[in-house]
Amino acid sequence: MLISYNWLQDFLQLQVDPAVLAEKITRTGVEIPTTAHPMAGLKKLVVGHVLTSEKIEGTHLHKCQVEVGQEAPLQIVCGAPNVAAGEDVIVALHGARIAGNEKIKRGKIRGIESNGMICGLQEIGFADKVVPAKYLHGIFVFSAGSDVKPGQDVYEALGMDDYIFDFDITPNRADTLSMEGAAYEVGAIIDQKPKIEQVVLKEDGPAWSDKFEAQVDPKLAPKYYLRKLTGIKIGESPLWLQTRLWNAGIRPVNNVVDATNYAMLLTGQPLHAYDAKTFAAGKLIVRQAQAGEKLELLNEKELELDPQDIVIADENKPVSLAGIMGGMNSEVTDETTEVILEAAVFDPTLIRKAALRHANRTDASARFEKGVNWDNVQKGIDVAALLMRNHAAATVDQGLLKATDQQRQAVVVKTTTSYINHVLGTELSGEDIAKIFDRLGFGHELAGDDLTVTVPNRRWDIEIPADLVEEVGRLYGYDNLESTQPLLPETHGGYSVRETKIRRLRKLVEGQGLNETINYTLTSPKAAKLFTKSDHKLIKVAWPMNSGRSALRQSLLIGLVNAVSYNFAHKQEQLMLFEQGRVYNLDDGKYNELEHLAALYTGTAAHHNWQKLDQPVDFYWVKGQLTSLLAAVGIKDLTFKAAIIPGMHPTRTAAVYAGERYLGFVGMLAPVLAVKDKNLQGHDLYGYELNLEALLPLMTTGLKNEPAPKYPSIERDVSLLVDKEITNAQVVDCIKANGGKYLQAVHVMDVYDGMQIEHGKKSLAYRLIFLNKQATLTDDVVSKAVEKIDAALADQLEAKIR
Amino acid sequence: MSDELDKLLARLKEIQAEGSQEIDQAVNKEKLNDIRVKFMGRKGKLTEILHSMKDIAPENRRTLGQQVNSLRDKFQASIDQANQDLTHKLIQQRLEAEKLDVTLPGREPLMGSKHVLRIVEDDLEKFFIGMGYQVVQGPEIETDHYCFEMMNLPKDHPARDMQATFWIDDEHLLRTQTSGDQARVLEKHDFSQGPLKMVGPGKVYRRDDDDATHSHQFMQMEGLVVDKHVTMGDLKGTLELIAKHVFGSTEIRLRPSYFPFTEPSVEMDVRCFNCGGKGCPICKYEGWIEVLGAGMVHPNVLENACIDSKVYGGFAFGVGLDRFAILKYSIDDIRDFYTNDIRFLTQFRQEED
Repeated sequence: MLISYNWLQDFLQLQVDPAVLAEKITRTGVEIPTTAHPMAGLKKLVVGHVLTSEKIEGTHLHKCQVEVGQEAPLQIVCGAPNVAAGEDVIVALHGARIAGNEKIKRGKIRGIESNGMICGLQEIGFADKVVPAKYLHGIFVFSAGSDVKPGQDVYEALGMDDYIFDFDITPNRADTLSMEGAAYEVGAIIDQKPKIEQVVLKEDGPAWSDKFEAQVDPKLAPKYYLRKLTGIKIGESPLWLQTRLWNAGIRPVNNVVDATNYAMLLTGQPLHAYDAKTFAAGKLIVRQAQAGEKLELLNEKELELDPQDIVIADENKPVSLAGIMGGMNSEVTDETTEVILEAAVFDPTLIRKAALRHANRTDASARFEKGVNWDNVQKGIDVAALLMRNHAAATVDQGLLKATDQQRQAVVVKTTTSYINHVLGTELSGEDIAKIFDRLGFGHELAGDDLTVTVPNRRWDIEIPADLVEEVGRLYGYDNLESTQPLLPETHGGYSVRETKIRRLRKLVEGQGLNETINYTLTSPKAAKLFTKSDHKLIKVAWPMNSGRSALRQSLLIGLVNAVSYNFAHKQEQLMLFEQGRVYNLDDGKYNELEHLAALYTGTAAHHNWQKLDQPVDFYWVKGQLTSLLAAVGIKDLTFKAAIIPGMHPTRTAAVYAGERYLGFVGMLAPVLAVKDKNLQGHDLYGYELNLEALLPLMTTGLKNEPAPKYPSIERDVSLLVDKEITNAQVVDCIKANGGKYLQAVHVMDVYDGMQIEHGKKSLAYRLIFLNKQATLTDDVVSKAVEKIDAALADQLEAKIR
Repeated sequence: MSDELDKLLARLKEIQAEGSQEIDQAVNKEKLNDIRVKFMGRKGKLTEILHSMKDIAPENRRTLGQQVNSLRDKFQASIDQANQDLTHKLIQQRLEAEKLDVTLPGREPLMGSKHVLRIVEDDLEKFFIGMGYQVVQGPEIETDHYCFEMMNLPKDHPARDMQATFWIDDEHLLRTQTSGDQARVLEKHDFSQGPLKMVGPGKVYRRDDDDATHSHQFMQMEGLVVDKHVTMGDLKGTLELIAKHVFGSTEIRLRPSYFPFTEPSVEMDVRCFNCGGKGCPICKYEGWIEVLGAGMVHPNVLENACIDSKVYGGFAFGVGLDRFAILKYSIDDIRDFYTNDIRFLTQFRQEED
């Protein structure tokens, strides 16, 4: 809420600089991010009295003589349609500064001398939304009865000399959504008791309430008051009232609507005025809407009402969406002479839901949903009635109709001085604390350590001792709290074993030269199903922002593909990216979150260089990276089997196993992906994705030293010719199975299936490494082992040893 | 007989001149070896002269012997020198042939990098671990129960509107805050084993349209300290340490605020580290920058986890890791974190520990 410094002076004696006060309020109560001073930056803006105004032929302009308190009137050319002789207007003199730091200079318009400018409110800095409708497209005209004289500065008359605090309230402090509430708050902060005046309202019209029936469900509206006003003459509100409204960000409309808004700003109680004709039958009903009912709001929005909506209805139809906005069919118009004025307390949750449902939050609904002061309902309605009486010639009919009138008891909170001190870390005495409750205007009883606090209904946010701690803490001043460190027994910080392992993997992958990315969890249902072998159900959000972000990913690669695509679009083509994060699925009604690790490679294995030593990444490069990563964390018994994975190249992808356990896959991404995403065209992508839930338990823990071998190893090479379909894995398995206990390692040396090789065959060469850790190995032993291997290869794989 | 001596001495002079010249002109080590053999070998010229010794008077033999030996030493020295020079020359030639243009660029391997949000996360984690906090992880698919109800946000609580939620079904949602981790840890913690000190980092989700300042996915870190004697002064002291560690800011301001799960609740602003408080675009001309929310754990949150709020209490805080990164590195578009432009990603390598 925008709180006027000048208006606050009605309640408090403020001598402090507004900026200093704003900072103090921010630190103690409610954040004030900005303080506006509307006249700041403006210069030489005075009241002018238009003596004559004649139309300039062939233009939309007028040549005016304007009295501005100088010896002679000024001639000013004005383009506004509503300029006329006899008006009091805003004049920017020669040398003036108007909004946007624009300078006004004497000059000629269409050859006619103009010594200034007659201004509209927007031109001197007013926002469109607060400018009265009739001045929206022209100059501002001071209403008759405005106490202004030609030549005087306009700032005070227009309320521009004010300082406007933007109270950025949190949901619990709706008590400050009124001038009175703000005055209580500021008063507590500066230790001054605010002067809150009672309303004395004269009811000199006939009694009305006994002839009017209001049927109100007390669950919907625990308080529901009505007044009737007659003899109204709709017109403009006095300028002082209008300035208070527009300084609070509310557009002045007419003397009835303005009265309700003003009363709301003052008391925090939202009010609504109906044209009394609406209820000509003498019956008003507060009920929930029925299915199929419709209502056109004052902002011309057509609503299909929901059975949860509270409406005000006549005997047939809704005429207002309760607590939110009135209906077009009960609007106060220029012809209105009698109004029914409503002040109520509505169910906060129903109001909040209805405002959300119909996307129609208003100043009133914002207050109702956060709660209002139950003790201020009558004051609200009486202030509005009084203003109409004073400024709209209204007669207040006798009787305040209270259709419902539940009472709320003041909350009594019991606590102790020691509890408050214990939470805050302070050493305040009971008297110190009592003084703070005095400032807040809370009743209190101090008996030794015990403290009983009675909280007035205007502070409905306070219920429990912790709430009192906050009041004491903030008014004592958080700045005054001594900064300490918790004096607690020693605790050992750190990561869980699982987290430590995940971090180790991230570090290793980064060390391999990959750049970490973080991608979105939400993707399209189609994309979410790619790059996973599992056929678990997708998890979808119930109300997505768009279909592209409606399902939870089942792989990380999909995010990496998007990242690569984005980079390609920006001409970045050398990419080695990884992500470590979660994937999600629904399995047998259970929501699963699995930690994964994925990498995507494209381009070359090193930066391009003039020596041309930059091979393109390929399957074996990526497989090598993955293998060395897994080796670094002690994963043993690794096997790779050709596999089909959605999104992956069907003949260039391998499933990765440790023993029988499926860890993930590695391979080339399906070239077909480039059909949908043009950015990917012409690029080969390789990658892998690992399920860390399977991998983490296999990672080495509790390593024991194995001494480096003291005896030399012996190497033997084996070359063979086999059928093309025989895989490396088959050969290696055969060699290992037959190599004896000293065979340490088998390395592929060469694979050749080109020219000079029999069709349908390929040539393979392996280097075998033998080692006896206990003694020097003899050639004899090794030769025997190799003979056995050769024989097995020939026998089992029909290999020709070369 | 001195004639013979003179003749031999003259011959020695000739040999000296001849040898010296040949050594000087030798172009390689083989040639030098030939010269050595020619003059000093078993059949060499100097040896020949020694063989002629028998022809001269015995009293002169000593003189001649000395002269021959002296010349042999001279030759040897010259040959050694020449050998050394040749070696040196060869090395020189080879080095010259190996000359590189050292100004040509080197071959750069691809260097890995940590995501900037991880850098911020890891840095904070390390900071808190140093103060004895455990790092805790919780689920991103949270239940209404843990994300809201346990955190003192019952159904229909208006504060739920502050966090537009991605619902999955009636009970499950994508967590809007990491606070659910608090509830889970509070339920499990055994206070007889010591105080509870934890931070919980992770992804959170809000139903927001993505733009430069909003993201439907971002990262938070939750902190919680609960024991029998934890005060708001302790909270203030801890927050000051965070401000100093992350922003180098020593001046902070605590403002009353509202979170359903803390009471009292505060927000912390730090003095703008860019302008020092004079006002600049980074602090939106306010001189202060809001960096985190915190407060004393609401008694309902403790009671919901079956902890006696009359005995135990503590503080909680929550930081937005994206916000920290944005402020610390002057990043002007939150989407940059998630589009992963390689040029954006790799620049932060310099910030890794």
